[in-house]
Amino acid sequence: MTHEPNSAAERAATPGKEVLRLERICLDFGNRSVLRGIDLTVQEGEVVVLIGASGSGKTSLLRCINLLNTPTSGSIVIDDDVIFQQQAGGAARAISNQEVNRIRSKTGMVFQQFNLFPHMTALQNIMEGPVTVKKEAADPVRRKAMDLLRMMGLEQHAEKYPRQLSGGQQQRVAIARAMAMQPKVMLFDEPTSALDPELVGEVMKAMVELARSGMTMVIVTHELGFAFEIADRVVFLDEGLVAEQGPPQEILLHPRHERLKSFVGRFHESADMLRPFLEAKHAETA
Amino acid sequence: MFDFSVITNNIGLLWDGLLMTLYFTAITILAGLAIGLVIGLIQLSTFRPLVLLGQIYVEFFRNIPLLVTLLWVYYAFPIFAGVNVTKFWAGFIGLSCYVGSFYAEILRAGVQSVDPGQTDAATAIGMSYGQRMRRIILPQAFRKMIPPLAGQSIIQMKNTTLLSMITVPDLLYQASYISSFTYRPMEVYTAVGVIFLIILVPLTFLSRKLEKSGAATK
Repeated sequence: MTHEPNSAAERAATPGKEVLRLERICLDFGNRSVLRGIDLTVQEGEVVVLIGASGSGKTSLLRCINLLNTPTSGSIVIDDDVIFQQQAGGAARAISNQEVNRIRSKTGMVFQQFNLFPHMTALQNIMEGPVTVKKEAADPVRRKAMDLLRMMGLEQHAEKYPRQLSGGQQQRVAIARAMAMQPKVMLFDEPTSALDPELVGEVMKAMVELARSGMTMVIVTHELGFAFEIADRVVFLDEGLVAEQGPPQEILLHPRHERLKSFVGRFHESADMLRPFLEAKHAETA
Repeated sequence: MFDFSVITNNIGLLWDGLLMTLYFTAITILAGLAIGLVIGLIQLSTFRPLVLLGQIYVEFFRNIPLLVTLLWVYYAFPIFAGVNVTKFWAGFIGLSCYVGSFYAEILRAGVQSVDPGQTDAATAIGMSYGQRMRRIILPQAFRKMIPPLAGQSIIQMKNTTLLSMITVPDLLYQASYISSFTYRPMEVYTAVGVIFLIILVPLTFLSRKLEKSGAATK
């Protein structure tokens, strides 16, 4: 994976249209507060990476965006459509289920466990959304689905069932399935955590390519190296709040917040452990 | 010791009884599936009163002996409700409601055994509740439900013999009728047992086969 500072800088520099706006998002599970008032806006073409310790609310926040989790209060606007609005302790804006489903399909989501439909082939998985939800004609959808599979380097696996594919291949099919709905923003929930180490790279590569193509992305990940590579902005969540955010260089190399320092520090420690090996390798190839 | 001429002499009566048994098995399984689908989905809803209603239905019919249900529907219900219930309708209602409660539980358990991630994924691409159920959840749940559904349906066929208690002329009723004038209950009831074996053993094998093919696509 090569780092191309140009693309990230360019995207960040273009003041794009706002694709996603979250305001004062709170989420309680029972009497436990998971999110305690999160504000987050994402511009068109921007890649935002959410980091934080386990239990900091990253995944919950991501699942709130398309209402897989319903926030306790706050408001969510996706591409100028209000999908959720509820003031703390006040009235909710009534939004019909139908409307929620329509706005929801403007987001694509990729899950840690892939969640492909096991009774459908890779191709059918990708076609399911456009055909069933958007009622598009099967033939053009099939062509587009094949294009997506080709983009993911999986066209020869179109007729295979998920169980016949490796984890990395399944996750790439899942990315194609989400992309088939032509979403305004792609949400990734720890997309590489369930993968065998040797399969992580192919999924990351597909995501980097997606980012370069200008896709707006929100990614939850524990892979800080990957965050550094792909992010325009890194958001550090701590105890249900945005503790610090900024460009990856700033957040990951010069953290200010104490909790972020120790979080990133652990990552640097493991990187330091690897350094002698990497340097040796470098000397070898030079 | 055995004299099976009583069987060959009365084969017509047994044949009529068998047709009645098969007829009731088929229509009560179909009606039971419809009831099971409705009650099962009701139990899976998020609306508490509906869930409770579904549970009451299931526990009611599952825990009352089928014979009591049949006798009650045939003898007691017409008196309370002031309506005339024929033995056919009583048998149909009793058997369908009974098997429906078991089917409902099988459906509920089947749907709940599908990975919640499947619902997440279907919801995330914008599917409505109906689309999720029809396209994603039920097709996966049905595969898991085939063995218990087949098992319950086999039990249902055997349970139709209780219809003889409300004088529906099923296989068992005909058998007791034949033995009443031939005085050869041993031969007659043995024949009934053999008939059930001949019909149900192949079905058991079929359900095993379906189970295997279902597991393969999982």
